[in-house]
Order: sequence, then C-alpha cells, then structure tokens
Amino acid sequence: MAKELLNLDSGTTCTSWNYSATRLAAGSLDGTLSIFDSRDPSSSSLRSTFKSRVHEGNIVKIVWVPPEYGDAVACVFADGILSLFEEVAEDSQPLQWKICKSFGNSSNKVLDVQFGISSASLKMVAAYSDGNVRVFELSNPLELRNWQLQAEFQNVIESVSAFGKALCLSASISWNPQKGGSQEASFLIGFNSNTSELNSSKVWEFDQAHQRWLPVAELALPEDKGDQVYAVAWAPNIGRSYEIIAVATQKGLAIWHLGSNPDHNGRLPVERVALLSGHEGVVWQMEWDMSGMTLATTGQDGMVRLWQSNLNGVWHQQAAFEPTS
Amino acid sequence: MPSDAVGNGALVPFSGDPPALYPLHHGLAPPISRLAISWSRGNSLRLSLFAGAGAKVVEVKLDGEDPEISDAHRRRIAYGSVAPFALLQSRRSSLSALSRSPSPYHSDWWEHVLQYSKEIASLLGGPKLSPTPIIKDPNTIVKTGEEPTSLKAAWELMEIFYVDKESQAWLPERLVDWLADYDCLFTSTLETIHSKLVDFQKELVNIQVIEEDPKYWELLSSALSVGWLDIVVKMLRLHGSYQLDQLSNRELENGLVEAVAIFISKMPRLCPESAAAKVGECFESKPDFIKAWEKWRSQVTKLDCSPFWIQCDNQRTREGLRNLLQIMLGNTESLSLATCNWIELYISHFLFIRPFTIGIESMHNLAQKCIQLKPPSSTHRLAGLMIGILGESTEVVLAECSREFGPWLAAHAIELFTAGSEQAEILLHDDRYNLGGISIVELHRLVYAQVLSSHALTWQIAPIYLTSCMKQGMGLLENLLYRQSVQPNDVLLKNIEICRLYELDHISSNIIKIAGVHHWKHGRKGAGVFWLQQAQDASRLDRIAQQLFDSVGKSISHESFKQWEGMIELLGSESKPAGGLDFLYKYRDFKKSLQQVSGRKSADAARQAVGSLILLMKNSSTPQRFWLPLLYDSLKLLNWQDCPLLSVSETNLLLNKLQELSLAKLRPHHTEPSLPPDALSSIRLALATNLGRAILDE
Repeated sequence: MAKELLNLDSGTTCTSWNYSATRLAAGSLDGTLSIFDSRDPSSSSLRSTFKSRVHEGNIVKIVWVPPEYGDAVACVFADGILSLFEEVAEDSQPLQWKICKSFGNSSNKVLDVQFGISSASLKMVAAYSDGNVRVFELSNPLELRNWQLQAEFQNVIESVSAFGKALCLSASISWNPQKGGSQEASFLIGFNSNTSELNSSKVWEFDQAHQRWLPVAELALPEDKGDQVYAVAWAPNIGRSYEIIAVATQKGLAIWHLGSNPDHNGRLPVERVALLSGHEGVVWQMEWDMSGMTLATTGQDGMVRLWQSNLNGVWHQQAAFEPTS
Repeated sequence: MPSDAVGNGALVPFSGDPPALYPLHHGLAPPISRLAISWSRGNSLRLSLFAGAGAKVVEVKLDGEDPEISDAHRRRIAYGSVAPFALLQSRRSSLSALSRSPSPYHSDWWEHVLQYSKEIASLLGGPKLSPTPIIKDPNTIVKTGEEPTSLKAAWELMEIFYVDKESQAWLPERLVDWLADYDCLFTSTLETIHSKLVDFQKELVNIQVIEEDPKYWELLSSALSVGWLDIVVKMLRLHGSYQLDQLSNRELENGLVEAVAIFISKMPRLCPESAAAKVGECFESKPDFIKAWEKWRSQVTKLDCSPFWIQCDNQRTREGLRNLLQIMLGNTESLSLATCNWIELYISHFLFIRPFTIGIESMHNLAQKCIQLKPPSSTHRLAGLMIGILGESTEVVLAECSREFGPWLAAHAIELFTAGSEQAEILLHDDRYNLGGISIVELHRLVYAQVLSSHALTWQIAPIYLTSCMKQGMGLLENLLYRQSVQPNDVLLKNIEICRLYELDHISSNIIKIAGVHHWKHGRKGAGVFWLQQAQDASRLDRIAQQLFDSVGKSISHESFKQWEGMIELLGSESKPAGGLDFLYKYRDFKKSLQQVSGRKSADAARQAVGSLILLMKNSSTPQRFWLPLLYDSLKLLNWQDCPLLSVSETNLLLNKLQELSLAKLRPHHTEPSLPPDALSSIRLALATNLGRAILDE
C-alpha cells in the first residue's frame, strides 16, 4: 500500500511538496535546505538538485510560494527568522537557489507563514510570537525581494480591553483555497498562546472598500474561546454552498461549516457540525485532499488519520495509519 | 479526551465500523519523532516520517481497489469503460431532452443499459468457462482454467437482477448458471462444492474402484444439488458397472445407474431455447415447464419405489443412487447435506424444491431461511452483495460495491440500478444537502475520478467522469488541472488542450502564467514572454518591459541593441503586444532605421527614422524617461544637413514633450537618464534650428 519515494539524511526535520507534487523541499536541524525533483511528472523517483546550508540553526517549517510567482520557498527557522529562497537563472548564470528576503528576529519570532493570492497580487500572512499577524504584499510580481507591509493586527474579533504581553508557542494559518472568482480573499488563523483572546480561530476577510482586514467569523463555541489552537485547515470548495473548515484544539478535532451571507454586523454564520476525538494531545498538521472531502491529520500520538463525512453528513474517522518499523 | 466537557451530544460516536487501521512499514529505527502529510493529486497521500537516524518519504494510495485485479488489468478496465460510459451518458441526455422529463426512465431505456452492461462485462474477464467439461479426457470432471474474478461475478449478478428484463422469467435458472460459473470464488471464505470437486479430481487417478469411495457418491449428490448435471452424468458414467468386463455380472446395477443418469439428463429446465447446450430439457414457457416438471417428478418417484432396488446387491451404489433420487425429489435434508454453504443450498432450493419461485420478495425470504440453515462464519463479499440485492436496498448494494470492490464498480454499477426503477432513479439522482448539494451518483463519480487522478497513466480520463457531474465536477477538474506540472512541454500542451475542451479559460490562463513565470525565472526569457503573452498577463509583461528598458534603454551602443533585439524578435509580430511591449516594438523599428541612416546617409532612411521617432513620441505607452534618450539619439536627424526633416507641427510636438519633461523633473521619484550634461541643450538647439528652417520651408 505504501510506496517508498525517498530516504532523507538524519537530522531532517521538515518537508514540503510543491503544488504539483513534483518537487520536495526538505529542511534540517543544521539549517540545510535540500530540493528534490521528479525526473518527469509520471515517475515518482526523485533526485537531489540542490543542497546547501542556508542558515545557522534548525529549519522548522517550509512553505512553497504559489507557482504563479516562480519556484520559491519560505523557510521558518527555529530562531524565528523567516527567509524566502528562489530558484533563478540570472544573467546567463546557471540556475541556483538564492535568498531574496528575510523577516522577523529572535525577540519576535515568526511562527507560521502562508501565501494567498488576492486582487491579482501575492499576499503573505505571517503570525508572530507576540501575537501579531502581519500581511505583506508583493509589489512586483516578478520579484520576491520587495514586500510591503499591508496590515498588522491581533487575532481578536471583539474590541477587548488591553491584555498583557502575549506569548505564543505556535500559530496556524490557512487561506481560503478558492481560485479566482469574485469572492474576496480570506484566511483563517488560530494561536496556541497564553492569551485566551488571541487563541480562537478567526476568519479574516479583506474589505476592498476600506482597504483593511476584518474578522468575519470566530470558529469557537462561547465556552471554548480560550482553547489553544493546534492546527487549522480550510477545505477546498468545489461547489458546496458553504465552506468547510477543520480546527484542532485540545478538545478534539472540530469540523465547521461557514456560511456565505453575513449578518448585519458583517459576521458570517458558523456551525460546528462535528467534534471528533482521535489524536491524543497536540495535532501537528491537517491537510484536505483536492476535493475537500477527506481530511488527513497527524499528531503527537504518531498516527496519520483520515476523516470523512458519510451519506448522512456524519463525520467519522475512516482510516488510520500506524508507523511500524 | 474529556468528552464530558463537550456535552450536548456533539461528539460523534463511532457508531459504524471502527476505522480501518493500516500498518505503515518504514524500516527506520524508532522512535518516529514527527510526521508530515501532503496530498498529491487525487487520493494519493504523501507522508514524511522523521526519526533520529534519518527520514523517509512514502506515498500511500487510498484507492481501496479490488486486490484481485492487477494494476495493468485495472487500467485496461478504466480505459475500456470510458466509451460505454460516455455513450450511455449521451443517450441519457438526449432521451431526457426528447421527453422533456428529468428522468430518463423510458420503456426501452433498459436496453441501452443492457448494451452498456454487456460491454463493461466483456472488459472484466474472458468468456465464461464452458459448462461442458473437456470430453477428451474422461477423467476430467471439472475444468480448472482461468480463474474468474469476483468483480465480473458481481457485475453479472447485478445485470441479472437489475438490467436484463427479458430473462426475468427465468431468474432462478440464471442464478444456477451464475453459481456454476463463480462457485469457485467463494472458496476463499467458504467450503464449496467446486473446491471439493477439484480435490476429488486430483485423487481420481489413485482410486481403483470408484463406486466404493464414499466421496464419489457424496460429490455426485453435491453436484446434482446445484444443478451441474453434465458433471453428474459424466461422473455416473465412471461407475465400475460400465466397464466391459463387469457389465455381464452387474447388469441390474448398471441399469439403475443408467436410469438415474437418463433422468438427470432429462431434467426439465425453465430457460430460453438459446441455452439448449445445457444438459436437461429446456422449456421457454412456464406452463410447458410445469407440465414437464410434474411428469418428470412422477417418473422419478416411480423409480424410487421400484422393486429393482432390493435386487441391487451393491449397497453403496444402491444408497448412493437413491440419495440422488431424494435430491431430485427435493428432500430438504438431502439437499442440506449435499450443499456446503448457504448460497449453494439456496440454489438447490430453486432447482428441486421451489422451481416455480417468482418474485424478489419470496426469493429474499428463501435466502434468509438458507442463511439460518447454514449460517456462514464470515460473509463473502459476493454473498453480501447478493443479500443487498435480494433485500431490495439500493443503498446497501451501492455500499457493498464501493466498500468491497472499490470506486470503479460503484461509479459504473450505479447505472444498472436505474435501468428499470424510477424509485432508484430518484434516490440516486436527487441532490442532498448532507453531501454538500450533490447526488449519490455524482458523489461516486467524483470519488472514482479522484482515483483516476492519482495515477499518472489514468488522470487524463478523469475529465470525462468529472464533466458528467453537474454540480461539483468542474470544480474538481479545475483543482486537478491546476495541480498538473507545467513541464515538460507536452504535459503543458495537454493541460491547455483539456482546458480548451471544457472551456476553462481562467484555469488555462493560470497554467500558462505559471509556465511563463517558470521559463522567465529559469533563464528562458523568450519562452517566458511567449507564454505570458498567451496568458495575456499585462501586469507581468509590463514588469518585463520595464526590466528590458532598464537593461537596454540607457545605452545606444550597437552591442546592447543586438542583445535585446533578439528578445523582441522572440516576442513575434503576431502575438498581441501588451502594455510596455508595444513600445519596445516601435523602439526596435526606430533603432533599426536609425542604424540605416548612419550607414547609408540616405534621406529616405532618415525620413523613415523620423516617422518612427514621431510615432514613439506620440505613443502613450512610451515611458517618459525614454523621451530624452530618444531625442538625443535623433540629434543627427534634427540637424539633417540637406533639409529640415521635421515639419513645424512635428517640431512643436517634440518641444512640448521637452516642456513636459522639465515639469516632471519637479516631481519626486524622477530619475535622470545617464546622458552627457550638454544633452538637453544640444537637443533644444537642434529643435529650434529645425523649427526655424521648417517655418521657412513652409
């Protein structure tokens, strides 16, 4: 059932596939970035095409930039720095990976980063350890060097009284994966922090008229709002009238429906349709398949689990994979 | 997990089956410290496992396909079923257009479905095994040849019940044939008559006196109970009393054996004439069959009561033959002993106890009774399918198809269910909120398309199934196409072609854009510009034009001109210039004519160059920062010795541009072109001189 694709060096800490699953980026404890490429799209054998130590320290996360902007990755390092690397051939030099930009510093770490395309421009959302969310905009679609800070805000939906200094362990961002269309760009973010107001997952939508990001939904029941969020994932929508979003907290894996018609406050209707138990403890990652019908999750229990809804709309665990040597 | 804290019953209890647990063998030294997941196309999931001493990337295909079918055969089935599927869909849509009814239910709709069903069935395996054993070797009782597949057995079973309306009258007889073809498949989970026969066949060579072997008689009754008459007759003729040297001593015994064999070969069957190859006497009409059956039974009864049995001194032969008569007379106990599992018992009931059974409800009750009599230790997938069909539950049948045989069967068999039932049509074609607004039919097609999408050799046929899905097919197709790699080129062209076919312009422009950026960034500037033009990506082309200006605009040396002239050539003259590229074309024309002027000093060439210059300066897409370098390049034209080349109005246009430039200097972000310090004044002087001469001329 499982086919081996690649063996990686010891010390590898993270991997990430590009949009077409033909290129794999891998990061290591010592800050080495490696790229592996399929020989052709129909074969699954991979060969190493780049390997270099790009940073002093561990790479904790790699995210590919949307392919409309080239072959590029964002690396989040353990020291909180975020760097963008791009594969380019400049001025008749051979093809090589080059650093184009860095963000963050060790006192205010970047925890997560995700890219989205809105109004035909590339946006990068970064979550910082002080609880701030920054949205950067790429000014030139052919250059990954120049980013403008478009917005900076905290992940709060109600105007709240000031809270103490936030300390965030992790954050999870997921863009609405819709492509094109008239819908405004939106993304989802949740924190795992000591500040309960920041934690719950909120949907942020760009308000074109006023050129600002607005929170349009909060995906937490009133009694669960302070729960630390481990991971969020926005499902691809191939034709449903509502959106499906998965949110993992210490209470379990929640599946939410998000409606499209806002109320008089501009808030979108939300409904939690399932709360599932499976992974004991922290959920590391959640990924929807391209139809938005199957959710794959992995977490601290070391398992990979698959979740689906049955004909009656009841969500359940469909299968689980247990690594064994 | 503190489930109490959740309250209000929102926590979903795992009511159904527990999730399937699969081991993931990785060969790394434990412990696994971290896992990463990523979906590829379709339902292929890529996992990275990180351990202290290394990491591994594996791919898991979650297709749940039938393990009996090899990958190559599965692909043949996938490709072969496209045409029948597409034909049926087009017939469905033309029929519903004709009748203006949403349902294609039509008196002869089932005939189209039957044709579809036959075509699909032919993909699933070779022709059925011949029911007559090979005659050449008298010792061959059962033929063991190519193993039939459960997939084909399942398909035929559904065809029998749902599609083939003409043979509904002899449904039980078709089930007898079905079991004869596929009894061997049940061997994996159940004891079967087929497997016993195969075992006996192996022992046959070592048996001296066959009629003394209890197994011989046991198997005769078993084969008879499920109607394998040809095998029974053949086996009876292996009886020792037929041997020439024994015939005289065992005349009576042989007469009894032969009498039973004749009765068996004359057994009336309710089946079409076309099935005449069958052992037994076929009757197409039910009244004829009933008459013949009753006559046959009375003759069997007569033989059973015959006084000859007392005279037969071979006890085994006597008991064995009389047991065969009991089976023919429908003795429940004998049938139960003769059959190995409930399905065989079920078939034997049709043959010998209720040969006139009709109606699915009574067939269902009978099946329930047989299951009670011979409860199976585990349910074979074909048995599960049969129970679902007899229970008249389309949902159960579909669930069995999908769970036990995989998405291919579910997506294709669904067509069979609607062949004659409007109720099934409604059930399967109605959109459901719980499924996100799609019908069950669409759901199964989407699931199957996902399976196709995850293989490099089959994703190309996924669009055919996706476009038959009214609600969400196109959405999934878009996601599938977006996730295709843009290289190599033939894959890109294939993707663009699919987009064109299904009018997915925004997806193709996106794919082309990705290709353009990829080429541009990878040093293939010409290909990059070509694809970006195809994508009509004005914003990126403008940026590229800017970059070209930056690299070529400053200098007018011949070297750099050559460098970027090739670039402009690559853009081609046919492709629609976008934004700043329009300027580059004109700039190239101007530069060319300017070069000719310096070469030949001809007035015609100079006039042409002036024309190009005026065009450039009039054009709004010419960037302002180029105005001064352009004028500076044209000094020779402005100072033309023989005559003024620019008219008064043309000179005024250029002077106005100079005026605009001096205003622009006051704005922020203004960049001075790198020209000699006296450039501006020499242009002014030349323009003024030209103006004066032009006024005089006019």
